[in-house]
Amino acid sequence: MSEKEHRIVVIGAGTGGTIVTNQLHKKLKKAKINYNITVIDPHFKHLYQPGFLFTMLGREKNENLVKDSRKMMPKSVNAMVDKVKIIDTKKKVVKTENGEDVPYDYLVLAPGSRLAFDAVDWWDDSIHHFYNPSGAENLRHALENFDKGTIVVSIADLPYKCPPAPVEASMLIDDYYRRKGKRDDVDIIYTSPLGRAFSIETTNTRVEPYLKEKDIELMTMFNADDVDTEERVIYSMEGEEVEYDLLVMVPPHRGQKFVIDSGLASGQGWIPVDKYTLEVENHPGVFALGDATNLPISKAGSTAHHEAPVIAENIRDLILKNQLTAKYDGHVQCFFLTEIGKSMFIDFDYSRPPKPSPTRRLWWYFKLMFKPLYFRMVTKARV
Amino acid sequence: MQETITKTIDARGSFCPGPLMELVRAIKEIEVGQVIDLYSADEGSRRDIPKWIEKAGHELVEIREDEGFRHFIVKKGEKVRRRKRRGDSDE
Repeated sequence: MSEKEHRIVVIGAGTGGTIVTNQLHKKLKKAKINYNITVIDPHFKHLYQPGFLFTMLGREKNENLVKDSRKMMPKSVNAMVDKVKIIDTKKKVVKTENGEDVPYDYLVLAPGSRLAFDAVDWWDDSIHHFYNPSGAENLRHALENFDKGTIVVSIADLPYKCPPAPVEASMLIDDYYRRKGKRDDVDIIYTSPLGRAFSIETTNTRVEPYLKEKDIELMTMFNADDVDTEERVIYSMEGEEVEYDLLVMVPPHRGQKFVIDSGLASGQGWIPVDKYTLEVENHPGVFALGDATNLPISKAGSTAHHEAPVIAENIRDLILKNQLTAKYDGHVQCFFLTEIGKSMFIDFDYSRPPKPSPTRRLWWYFKLMFKPLYFRMVTKARV
Repeated sequence: MQETITKTIDARGSFCPGPLMELVRAIKEIEVGQVIDLYSADEGSRRDIPKWIEKAGHELVEIREDEGFRHFIVKKGEKVRRRKRRGDSDE
């Protein structure tokens, strides 16, 4: 075993942080490297975020969507319950809100994105969403009490987590009212920022016929610019407007403030990384993954899952050979729900566009099975 | 006259969320009159980017072919709220 102890700090214990910690533990141990890993997270509450759509429908309980990340990591990991205040990248020290200084040799940034309701001046509590446990629960109550009128599903700002989520939500809300026997009394409108319902053309050719079949009105090239919550009207950047009785909107997303304060990102706070090595631009030995990066790919757990082993291998190879050898190929996979009991499956990377996927009951069962698989296998880097 | 590029976005390999979403996102962050150079290898961009630029009131300065991708040079226009109601015709 090499003499020097290599200090690795991972910021964040969500999907990316948890998987990268387990990947590092496996790969560094196998390479007989002397290391220690510190993970810093404000609460270590690991949320299974795809479950929020099911909470919205009254088919899931929020308490079943959260687990302690520390129980998914090796015992040797030093788990610090704390918030990062700033990173001194010159001295290689992470400074925390509780006043701790945590030195590192290698740093992994997995702090995720944050819901930035204050990024627009018109957001208020009358706008519903399903992007955190309380939002999904409030929306469940709102849907239970809403039996007549127009529901608009829209997007406040770009980028946002899980590109299929809002169009999935539209189709699941349609399913919800059909089962309730109230669909004839409820109009559903989905506004898309693009010229089509979904970004990937091959998948879109399947999605748009579903919207038509389900009588969900599609408004394309609609990027929200302002919402008058008293008059219940959304205005778009493109000069259109739409009225609603109940608004379900993807909230604005931003990067973490400490990332900007530390000079690692600017603007909205997305960390610029090399799209292959995942090393942060101009910061050797610092890596980022998941929602926190500026990569023009899906902000989704699947992205972080496939990025994590690349970072673990690159840190191992920096220690052993002082080179970055592993490359992320842009691999992302996701389920795309069209109704209760049916789903599509999408799989693609930087060079391989997704092929049209048939909508099958089988994918729905995989989707249901994925939650236990996620907590038992995925987060522990067993798959 | 050659436009001065304010921001470059490499959206090659972006199938989801896609180059147009990257453009919409980026255009919110620049000032009126500033220019974006968007790289896209997606065939759909040839159709949907010019369409969105026209609808949103920006200017497509140029589409330039490169090796295996295109540059979309886009200048941000003045924001005009037309207050068109859903269902109204374009006339």
